[in-house]
Amino acid sequence: MTGSLHRIWPIATNTVREAVRHRLLYTLLFFAVTMIGFAVLIASLSYVEGERIIQDIGLASIRLFSVGIAIFVGIGLIHGEVDRRTIYTILAKPVTRAEFLLGKFFGLLLTVWLQLLLMGLAFVLVSLSVGAPLDWGYAAALFLVGIELMVIVAVATLFSSFSTPMLSAFFTLGIYALGHLSRNLYFLGQEAEVDSVRRAATLLYRVLPDLETFNVSIQAVHGLPIPASEVAWAVLYGLAYTTALLSLAIYIFHRRDLE
Amino acid sequence: MGLSSMTDRPREIVRVDGLVKNFRPGLGLRSKRVLHGVSFAVREGEIFGFVGPNGAGKTTTLKVLMGLIRPTSGRASILGCDVGEAGFRQHIGFLPENPYFYPFLTGREILRFYARLCGVESSLLAGRVNDLLALVRLEHASDERLSTYSKGMLQRIGIAQALIHDPEVAFLDEPMSGLDPIGRKDIRDIILRLKAAGKTVFMNTHILSDVEMICDRVAIIVKGRIRYEGPIREFLREDELRSDIVLARLSGETSRELGERFSTTIQTVGERVEVQVKDGQLQSFLEAALGAGADILSVTPNRVSLEHIFLEAVEEGEKADAGAGRGGGGTP
Repeated sequence: MTGSLHRIWPIATNTVREAVRHRLLYTLLFFAVTMIGFAVLIASLSYVEGERIIQDIGLASIRLFSVGIAIFVGIGLIHGEVDRRTIYTILAKPVTRAEFLLGKFFGLLLTVWLQLLLMGLAFVLVSLSVGAPLDWGYAAALFLVGIELMVIVAVATLFSSFSTPMLSAFFTLGIYALGHLSRNLYFLGQEAEVDSVRRAATLLYRVLPDLETFNVSIQAVHGLPIPASEVAWAVLYGLAYTTALLSLAIYIFHRRDLE
Repeated sequence: MGLSSMTDRPREIVRVDGLVKNFRPGLGLRSKRVLHGVSFAVREGEIFGFVGPNGAGKTTTLKVLMGLIRPTSGRASILGCDVGEAGFRQHIGFLPENPYFYPFLTGREILRFYARLCGVESSLLAGRVNDLLALVRLEHASDERLSTYSKGMLQRIGIAQALIHDPEVAFLDEPMSGLDPIGRKDIRDIILRLKAAGKTVFMNTHILSDVEMICDRVAIIVKGRIRYEGPIREFLREDELRSDIVLARLSGETSRELGERFSTTIQTVGERVEVQVKDGQLQSFLEAALGAGADILSVTPNRVSLEHIFLEAVEEGEKADAGAGRGGGGTP
């Protein structure tokens, strides 16, 4: 196990290094921070609740851009290594395919968490500068964005382990969109009179991630309580879903011919 | 080398038995057989050339050995372990064909990365990286990003990463292709140094001159089938090795005399006289020409080209396939 960590860690840190030496990341990060700053301008146009508008737009920007970064970097994560044949020399070393895949996953996760931290910092600075209230609710909201990102990165890793970047982007974006609608789809399905529709809606809800579990932005912005149990459940759910996705990714990747 | 190793048969480092590989080009398309029951063995301490024209199945075989693709049937083992396992890779090094490495890393960083993957201890890491940079003569560019490296430099850093953990066996896919003469000599020297250190080298190549210069034994693969396995000299047969000689100041009469004596055709182009003689007769021909007062302008070894041998082998293979009828074809 310790041996595995010694091999996963260099691959993960190398993935972070690749990302931080990539211009795209800075561009997205720049836009995200600009967007958070831009919220101040929009809020000034409103007579009421300017601070809330700033924080609402700020949190939404953070969610949007961090998911964007996760998908854009994640889709080519494994495919790029196979395509450029950099994977050949790595797998010829005493590195298993599972260790390689986990290394890439953790590398991307660290990257998106790092940029989440930077955006969070920008959010705090903007909030402080306009005198908007900051409490633990925001910390919980940002923390759960981090957990949601873990699931998205795992989805991108799964698709990247067997398909092209284009298809991976398509699938990952699809899962992201459906993941935010899955709860609504489930409730909608339960209203149906046909039994098979109800069952299908339930099955879909079980298979798709329920990404709304990680969304506590509204409670945070409106100062509503966020119970610790809700956060704990979201973390457990995120970990379990990520583990399942990564297990499937490892299974598929292990059986693949790397031509 | 002890007495026992002189009497015992050398240990088999690589063993390939009846390897078959089919590729499916796409959904709904018929699969194509690339390897047709390939078998060979590599012995300890030798430089083994896996030789064949492009598309013969060399890289596919090497990918099976490296565990990158799975064989359809057959077995392959390295150091007694099945190639599907990861454990034995601690003892092997691999240089892929036209290697490509993370362009955002420097030469030093990439070697550190591979060393860490191989579990090289932190205390030894810096020294090991410096040693390898010196071995492949890249100290001057060690802190430059790989995106600025030339093809030859990438090939050299590729060799360095393959040897970073001091492996017992090195697998090199076309290590000399695309290099200038100095680069080729450098790589040849490194391979010979590995052999001197008791390592085993497996080398994929289609360049016969490289094989002749350094390989102990070869396996010749054509269209996914092994056509020969054994010492290279036996394959080429000594009588097929010839040299081209260019002479000057040789009279017409002496030319004819030499031509008859050595059973060869002598061509006269202006004042230059060109002749091809078998290697076994080279010494006596040169002595005779010098004795007749000729100037020797050049002597160039003229090796039977591998492509020529392959063409013959391919033609033989096609005849055999045609003889066996359609049922013996490659598509399962």
